[in-house]
Amino acid sequence: MKFIKDHVMFILPLVAILLGIEFFLVFDRMTASYEQRLREGYSMLVVSNKPITLQELQSINKNIGQSTKIEKDEILKEISFGQKPEDIKEIISTLPNFYTIKLAKYLDTSELNKLQKDLSANKKIKRVESFGNSYSSNYKLFSFIKFILKVFIVFMSVVSLFLVIKQMEVWGYVHKERMQVMEIFGAPVMLRSGVLFKVAIVDAFIATSIIVSLFLYFRYQLAEIIELDILVNNSQLLFQPIDAFILLLCAIIIVVISVYMVVFSSREKEA
Amino acid sequence: MANIIKATDLTLAYNRGKNEIIKNANFSVRKGEFVFITGPSGSGKSTLLKSFYGHLKPAGGSMVVGGLELAGVSTSKLQELRTHMGMVFQDYKLINEWTVAKNVVLPLMIAGYSLDVQQTQAQRLLRHVKLTEYGNKHPFELSGGEQQRVGIARALAKNPMLILADEPTGNLDEYSSNVIWDLMENACGQLETTVVVVTHRIPTIFSLPYRHFIIENKGVYEVH
Repeated sequence: MKFIKDHVMFILPLVAILLGIEFFLVFDRMTASYEQRLREGYSMLVVSNKPITLQELQSINKNIGQSTKIEKDEILKEISFGQKPEDIKEIISTLPNFYTIKLAKYLDTSELNKLQKDLSANKKIKRVESFGNSYSSNYKLFSFIKFILKVFIVFMSVVSLFLVIKQMEVWGYVHKERMQVMEIFGAPVMLRSGVLFKVAIVDAFIATSIIVSLFLYFRYQLAEIIELDILVNNSQLLFQPIDAFILLLCAIIIVVISVYMVVFSSREKEA
Repeated sequence: MANIIKATDLTLAYNRGKNEIIKNANFSVRKGEFVFITGPSGSGKSTLLKSFYGHLKPAGGSMVVGGLELAGVSTSKLQELRTHMGMVFQDYKLINEWTVAKNVVLPLMIAGYSLDVQQTQAQRLLRHVKLTEYGNKHPFELSGGEQQRVGIARALAKNPMLILADEPTGNLDEYSSNVIWDLMENACGQLETTVVVVTHRIPTIFSLPYRHFIIENKGVYEVH
C-alpha cells in the first residue's frame, strides 16, 4: 500500500506538469492555426493606375505573399447592365487596376499599418483598403487568453515540480542509508542510485502514458461526443504523435534532475 | 615492508579547518600489520579512521593510503581505492532491505562480479563467519553479534588490502566481542590483510603481535 502511495504521490505532480506541457503544445498549435486562418482570410485591396506585378509589390514590402488581379470585366459585369458596348470599352479604359493582396505571414497591427503606409507611398498605387480593426481585436483577445493560460500552466508546473522534488526527498530519505553504505564501499553514482533511477523512469513512462491516453481520448472520442464544431474540425490539433515523444522526454528530464538532486543531497558530507 | 598508510604532518579538521582534531601527526602502518588506535572519547579516533578511507580529507600535510595521496584526490580514484578496503562499523551499516547474503557480497557487486561468483562467495564468506544458515534472512532478524559477523564477512569479501574497523565490538557482549576479535585476528594472521581498529579498549585475550597508537592532545603517538 505504501509502495503504491509513494508512486501515486510522485506520478500525480508529474502528470500535472505533463498536462501543462501538453496544454501548452495544444494552445501553441491552436494559435498557429488561428494565425494561419487570419492570414489567409485577411486581404488588402490595392488600386493602381498602371499594372503592378507581385515582384514589384514584394519590393515595396516583403510581407506580401500573393497578389491577384481583379479583372475589370468582372467588375463591370455588375454595373454595366444596359450600357452600350462602346461605353463599356471607354469605362474599361478609364478604370484603374484592382488587386487583392494576401500576407506572407501573420502581421500585428503596427506591421499592417507599415505595410499600408509603404503601399500608399508608392507612386503607382492610388489607394489601399484594409480590414485591420476586426483582425487586430480578434487576435488580441486570443493572445490574451493564451497569455493567461500560459501563466496558469507555468504556475501549475512550478508547484508540481516542487511536489515532485518533495516526493523525491522522501525517497531519498528512504534510500539514504543504503546509498551511503554503497558509497563507503566505493560504488559509483549510477550503481548506488540505480533503484531510484529505475523507479523514477518507470513512473515517467506511466505519467506520460496517462497524458497520451487522455489526449488521444480527447482527439478521437470526446471531440465527437460533445459535438463542438471547433474541436471536431480541429481534432488533429489536440494531439499529435510528436507530443508523446516531447512529453516522455520532458518527464525523463524532470525525473533525472530530481534523482540527481536526491543523490547529491545524500552524499556523505565532510563536517 | 611497504607502507599501506603513511601520514606526514597530517592535520585533520572540521568546519573548513577551524576546528582542528589532529595536528601535525606522523605515523605509518606497514602491510600485514594489526594496529589498534585508542584514546579518550572525542579525541579524534573515528575522525582519523574516516580520513583513511577519504571521508575526511587532510586539512594539512599528507595522507597516503595504498599509494594514493588523499589530499585533493578525485572522486573516481577514491572510489577505486575504497574497493580495495573493507570497513566494519560499530552500528554495522548493513542494508536492512537486502538479505544477509546480498549484504555480504556488496563489494563484489560494486566490482561487477557475476551473480554466480557472488553466490559462491556469499556461501564461502558466511561459512567463514559461521552464519551459513542465515543467507536468506535480513539483517534486522539477526542479533548484534551476528550482524557484526555479517559486517566482517562483507569487509573480507574482496580480499581487501586494508580493513578499517570503528569500535567493532562497541555494541556487543563479551562472548560476541571475542568472536569478532577472533575473526579480525584471523583476517590479519591468515589472510595477511592489514587491519586498523579504533577502539576504547584493547582486548585482553589477543594472540597476534600488534602496534598501538594513542591519540592525545591532537597528536598520534605510538605506545611501545
